[in-house]
Amino acid sequence: MKVVYNWLKDFVDVAASPQELASRLALSGTNIGGVENGAHGAVIEAEVSSNRPDCLGHHGIAREAAAIYKLPLKHVSPKPVEGQAKAGDAVKVEIQSPELCGRFTARVMRNVKIQPSPKWLKDRLEASGVASISNVVDVSNYVMLELGHPLHTFDYDKVRDHKIVVRRAKPGEKMRTLDGIERQLDSNICMISDGDGSRAVGIGGIMGGGETEISFSTKNVLIECAWFEPVAIRRAARFLKLHTEASTRFGRGADPEMAEIASRRAAELILQLAGGELLAGVVDIYPGKRAAKTMRVTRAEILRVMGAEVPDKEVEASLGALGFAPVRIDQNRGAEGSLLAAWECTQPSWRADVEREIDLIEEIARIYGLHKFPPRLPAARQGAARLPHYEAETRLRERLIGLGYREILTIPHVAEERDALFRPEGITPARLSNPLSEEANVLRSTGTVTMAAALEWNLNHGQRNARLFEIGRHYRLNGSESFETRVLTIGATGEAREKGLYDSARDFSLADLKGDLDSIGELCGGFRWADGGAEWLHAARRGAVRLNTIISSEARNLSSLGVAGQLARRVAERLKLRQDVFLAELEIDAFYDTVRIAKNPRRYEPLPRFPSVERDFSVLLADGTKFSDVTKTIQSLGIGEIHSIEATDLFRGKSVPAGKYSLLVRVTFQSREATLTEAQINDFSGRIVGALGKQLGAQLRAQ
Amino acid sequence: MLSPFKATGTDAMSSSDNKPERTLADLGVTQPDQVVSLFAEVRARFDSQASRPLDHPSWEILRQSWLGRKSGALTLITENWLKAASPDLKRSVGQELNKLKAHLETTLDERKLDAQSLADHSVSIRERVDLSLPGVIRPIGSHHLIRQVFQEIEDIFFSIGFSVVEGPEIETPYYNFEALNIPEFHPVRDDMDTFYLDLPKGAKTPLLLRTHTSPMQIRTMEKQKPPVRVIVPGKVYRRDNPDATHSFAFHQIEGLAVDTDITFCDFTGTIEYFVKQFFGPSVKTRFRPSYFPFTEPSVEFDVSCPFCGGTGTASGGGTCSKCKGAAWIELFGAGMVDPAVYGFVNYDAKKTSGFAFGIGIDRLAMLKYGIDDIQVFFQNDVRFLRQFP
Repeated sequence: MKVVYNWLKDFVDVAASPQELASRLALSGTNIGGVENGAHGAVIEAEVSSNRPDCLGHHGIAREAAAIYKLPLKHVSPKPVEGQAKAGDAVKVEIQSPELCGRFTARVMRNVKIQPSPKWLKDRLEASGVASISNVVDVSNYVMLELGHPLHTFDYDKVRDHKIVVRRAKPGEKMRTLDGIERQLDSNICMISDGDGSRAVGIGGIMGGGETEISFSTKNVLIECAWFEPVAIRRAARFLKLHTEASTRFGRGADPEMAEIASRRAAELILQLAGGELLAGVVDIYPGKRAAKTMRVTRAEILRVMGAEVPDKEVEASLGALGFAPVRIDQNRGAEGSLLAAWECTQPSWRADVEREIDLIEEIARIYGLHKFPPRLPAARQGAARLPHYEAETRLRERLIGLGYREILTIPHVAEERDALFRPEGITPARLSNPLSEEANVLRSTGTVTMAAALEWNLNHGQRNARLFEIGRHYRLNGSESFETRVLTIGATGEAREKGLYDSARDFSLADLKGDLDSIGELCGGFRWADGGAEWLHAARRGAVRLNTIISSEARNLSSLGVAGQLARRVAERLKLRQDVFLAELEIDAFYDTVRIAKNPRRYEPLPRFPSVERDFSVLLADGTKFSDVTKTIQSLGIGEIHSIEATDLFRGKSVPAGKYSLLVRVTFQSREATLTEAQINDFSGRIVGALGKQLGAQLRAQ
Repeated sequence: MLSPFKATGTDAMSSSDNKPERTLADLGVTQPDQVVSLFAEVRARFDSQASRPLDHPSWEILRQSWLGRKSGALTLITENWLKAASPDLKRSVGQELNKLKAHLETTLDERKLDAQSLADHSVSIRERVDLSLPGVIRPIGSHHLIRQVFQEIEDIFFSIGFSVVEGPEIETPYYNFEALNIPEFHPVRDDMDTFYLDLPKGAKTPLLLRTHTSPMQIRTMEKQKPPVRVIVPGKVYRRDNPDATHSFAFHQIEGLAVDTDITFCDFTGTIEYFVKQFFGPSVKTRFRPSYFPFTEPSVEFDVSCPFCGGTGTASGGGTCSKCKGAAWIELFGAGMVDPAVYGFVNYDAKKTSGFAFGIGIDRLAMLKYGIDDIQVFFQNDVRFLRQFP
């Protein structure tokens, strides 16, 4: 709403500069977009909130200014000269849908002269951003901007039978509005029709039609000034996707009492600008007339909500200036500042938004000044709690960052076909019914789909090396129920170690991903790896990640956390990823639970007092024999002194026959009782070599 | 053999002067006072040698020549003077020898440190590390900037008694709108363009992506009686076309404090505390009346522009680019919980009061770190991520 400073002065005699006025308005609840000095003086851009339709006109803003500066507000009481003939004989109005249209007033003017508007009117409209058309049309816009109430003018002679019928739209009814668009209607929409009601001449409170439009040949004018039910108007405007100055005002709740005053004001201006004769009286059908509501506000409640006193005279001045006519009604009404003070207030017709005590308190507070309530910090009454998984998540995040991963955040909206690349079978994604585009029509059903996109972005922007993680959610449907699951997603591509002064470059590999995940797994007592994984992962370089059963609780034992591996070439090519990409996705709630569970039973293990001894075994193994077969075989010997079994070298080719590989196994022995003797070590080694040979066919290579 | 008394450098003297190699009798020392002056002479010689600038090798030579086990001066003195001393001189020689030994050791220890620092200063340029070369950098990751801002804000509110809770991003219209006093066709719904899920026919209730974190006000109060003091970090969604200042997904922190005695003053005090922690103690604050269906009174909260000190003028002159010359920056909306909301959670509105706020994190981060395009948060370019370690 553009507020023309000089226009405002028609109603309130403010001395403040436009800038100062704007800032005072802002601090009392009228949001200000800016102040501009144009050709017609200062214009304040007021961003009126949706609960304040009364401020969508200069008179309403003037009331605010009058309340702020404690100045009198000039009332609007137009007194146009009326002729002998009666309006009631010239026009008939019937409201068939009073639930949609609460009031309809009609005035008739004869022999007007349609011509361009005078300069002062054009200037004010121009300052308000409204184009001037002709004197009569301009008047209806002018009155709307002045009093906040929309009007509509008809060419009286084009209204069939000089009769208006207000009704619901009929099934299948269509109508061409002033903007030339034919609109499909529905039965909740209020129509203005003429004659027998069969022809629609306007959509009530939203836009008129072309047939009865004012033109330069118009002689006689019918002024409509009505009141429409706000919810119905909002529903209709949304249904029609047609938002107009009128629908905004009626939709937020216009002042039903203003309808007749605005009509009179329009007649006054038309007489002044277009001449002619105003028929006597008004046709005023007012089925929606309501008695004014009364409500109370008490000092006790002001104190309870606001936490500080407001003096009696400030309560009365603010409410009085805004039209609530406060009257003290308590026993102590002689006493200034009484804690028992209570005021009875009457709701003005333009403030349907104020109907409760709290609403009155807000009115008092905003005019009195919010800065007058002293800030203080309330005492805490109870301890504060972090999220249950706060510690686990913090440690996870720290560890990932230590491992070189950067945290990312992604938007879960993705293209359905992309989502499908990563979606496990049998999962229903959460599709949007009103996506912004087909590129963003489902919520991701896995974390990996957006992680892959983040890697893609980096590769496409020359960033070859990226190690990323995201702690977020994935979204799935089961029937009409939605499920959001917290997931950790990891993505890596490029070099694990970049070439530098001291190191050579090394590409990121599955072993890096596995090692990093196991470093995380340490927090929850370890991960177990199993064959398997997802279809979108490389068949030879993927695995399933599980919680270590020993640590996990009964509820989650053997719980599968997720998958990890190298992205299958088939998918990488679809995404145009031209280098190896590694991805992992873990459902993280089970992990968090287990981090908590694993933490408490941990106990200190005394450090060994005796030295440990290492022995290396270089063995030839058949392809397909796993390292876990080796460790199981060695462990099956039940040698309690074995502290660890590690693989320290692995190679194929050269002196190694085809179908075999060479593995260097390092076994560390440690006794808690004594220093191990050479004889003991030799005995253990012999048994190990024997078992590996017997059970796995392993041959010991020359050391 | 090294000897402090042999010809070395400028202290050249004849070997006949090397007194420790001779016995006391040979030197004609027969009286204790002669012993004392003889030792004084030896000590003076040591002091003069030790007072020269020493690097490590020359310190080692000095030490060997005096304390060397085989032929150091002290060994010679022990052999030639003490052991061979007449019984009446033995006592004074012993005393003097102990004093000399202590002096030598203390002085040599001190001079060793000096020699070390001299050595540190005088290593050759070739050996010296070029500190302008990088060290071995182990790749370290980073927190996302939004996460950092979340953490900072959570910590501030946690410190004044706010618990942290989370809630679903897929919500029902009841929690996102109705229970927050936003009935269908309320004009405010027009400002929050909403994504809806495509559900199978026969679904009981529509599902939507929450347009704010406020549904957790309702969910929290449903579960818990007052006192309530929570903050809710999370993602929210509005169906806006993306541009430099709009993203259809962004982040908020909701706050809610409800008790029997919370007033507007407690509300403004809490918000002021937060802002001074976040932007620094010198920012000024102001509350402007506003409108939200679920708070009353409602406010918009502004801070004096922390970048131009609330002057509207940039430090180099001209208009401050952050506040566009307004001197104030609008931060977020808030207010006292509207009593209508208590009706939805079975709180007694007559005995309950509280406040709520919703802070847009992305905007705050953009403001604080000078980011001019919200999209960079979601592109996750490593060059961006690297900038906020």
